Amino acid sequence: MNQREQVMAGIFWAMAFSLLLVWTPSVLAQVCAKDDRDRTVCLDQPATRIAALSPGATELVWAAGAGEQVVAVVDYSDYPPAAKAVPKVGSHTRLDMERLLQLQPDLVIAWVTGNPAEQVQMLKDLGLPVFSIEPRSFEAVSDTIERLATLAGTETDGFVEADRFRRGIAELREQYASAEPVPVFYQVWDEPLMTVNNEHLIGEMIQLCGGDNIFGELDRLVPRISTEAVVTGNPEAILAGGMGEENRHWLTRWEAFPELKATKKDNLFFIPPSLVQRPTPRMLEGTRLFCEKLEVARGRRD
Amino acid sequence: MTRSLLPPLLFLALASLLAMAVSVAVGSVALSPLEVLSVFFGNAEPLQQTLVLELRLPRTLSAFATGGLLAVAGALMQVLLRNPLADPYVLGLSGGAAVGALLAMLAGLGGLLVSGSAFAGALLSTLMVFGLAHGTGSWTPSRLLLTGVVVAAGWGAVITLMLAISPARELPGMLYWLMGDVSYARTPWPGLLFLLAVCLLIVPLGRSLNVLARGPLQAAALGISVRPMEWLIYVLASLLTATAVTMAGSIGFVGLVVPHMLRLVLGNDQRLILPACALAGGTLLVLADTLARIVIAPEQLPVGVITALLGVPTFLYLLYRSR
Repeated sequence: MNQREQVMAGIFWAMAFSLLLVWTPSVLAQVCAKDDRDRTVCLDQPATRIAALSPGATELVWAAGAGEQVVAVVDYSDYPPAAKAVPKVGSHTRLDMERLLQLQPDLVIAWVTGNPAEQVQMLKDLGLPVFSIEPRSFEAVSDTIERLATLAGTETDGFVEADRFRRGIAELREQYASAEPVPVFYQVWDEPLMTVNNEHLIGEMIQLCGGDNIFGELDRLVPRISTEAVVTGNPEAILAGGMGEENRHWLTRWEAFPELKATKKDNLFFIPPSLVQRPTPRMLEGTRLFCEKLEVARGRRD
Repeated sequence: MTRSLLPPLLFLALASLLAMAVSVAVGSVALSPLEVLSVFFGNAEPLQQTLVLELRLPRTLSAFATGGLLAVAGALMQVLLRNPLADPYVLGLSGGAAVGALLAMLAGLGGLLVSGSAFAGALLSTLMVFGLAHGTGSWTPSRLLLTGVVVAAGWGAVITLMLAISPARELPGMLYWLMGDVSYARTPWPGLLFLLAVCLLIVPLGRSLNVLARGPLQAAALGISVRPMEWLIYVLASLLTATAVTMAGSIGFVGLVVPHMLRLVLGNDQRLILPACALAGGTLLVLADTLARIVIAPEQLPVGVITALLGVPTFLYLLYRSR
């Protein structure tokens, strides 16, 4: 190799090396996660402008420590309170695509079954990274928080929160593992009367607290049932959500059935729906409340 | 004759162009007319480019195509059944399409397959009504109407049953589909081209349609081959409706009221009414969809609400004035 070739080789390697230097950060910064449609979503760098297309997604993104990065939410995104100040892009059933695009998100968190498939597809066609989520178990809540934290580059906060939830649930599970079973009816909706089966996240909550869901074996996730079926099932405790946070009138209908065990023992409990009906870390508080109510029911036994 | 046909059509064409221009120019993100124009000359920012070319323009064209298809189909059905209450859905076509689409969703299929299945359902329903109404020979529009209405009721029951027993997580998707909305349209082109083709095909037949509208006996006496003509109308109306339903779900009202409105104003000459329906139906849906997008933005309204809110007073006024 003569000197000129050596110089050329040197220049070549210098260029190659500097290219590597330029490339490395972005290669290292690339983040990937698998969504609940089994698609792997990769971003060249952690998301800085996140659009959350459901109230649940908004809570989860905040839980992942990426609340600051949220630029768009939808109606009813009321928790945490800071979410109310974020621009809205319609409702989760009808998105205002123009406003959404105008906010130029670099990551869209969609809801697998809640958002219209056509509008989500259009976002993908326009080149936006769409991460679809739908947690259906306690573990999935933690797992989703971790995946969102990965995509937003907020692993430090996100993984702590995911772990707090995971440990909290595990503690409750252990605490009530050998509790006396309580036959439970959980009332999701009043008219028509609706409940959940064991597959549902709330069904999982009932089981965790040592409850025995009287409709747990039904096929549908959210079965519609008759008043007669509830009376026949004769639950020892009835827990209801409700439309508002302080709306107890769903429970008063059961006072008309004094022979019902739950009515006889006054085990008609109100659980704020926002604590149990959204798959978010607030479920830990909801589950704790749920378990406490069942414990009250156990205490009222003869 | 041609002279009296042209002015109203030109007026309607102008109105529809105007409506489309408005629809492209306004939205929930405010763009100045200058910015919108610059998009078409290719020197706008990427965001404006996307808003106008990827969102507003395809949606406007889809709305126009859907409205036009439904109005022409409604006008044809009214001629065929000689019943003023006939609309594109009266013979159970939208029900068949809905069952097709919901079945595809239940099977976990998405996107194009749902549309395809809806189209297949619409055609199946058409063939069923066709075959059953044909029966053992004697065939009359009233028999076709009865068959269609009963088949439609059957589809309605099947839809309710499917909604009642399908897993809860499929429900939202199904309800969106049943409500119908232009924002779900993928591409406007098949609908627009088909609408144009049918208009070109049907206008030369306008004279025969005029005679047919007066009754099959007069038509036969005047040398029209009634039966093939009626089947042609039936098949065309069905294809038009199937295309519209496949594009945007079942949007009501346009197909029933636009033909009546035009008859009240323009008289009942099918050579004029059919192309006028294509233009006026399209215009009505474009305007309605524009309002649906912006009235309470960022909330989006279902377009059916606006078509009815715009159409009902207009129609009632025309009806009142005509007496």
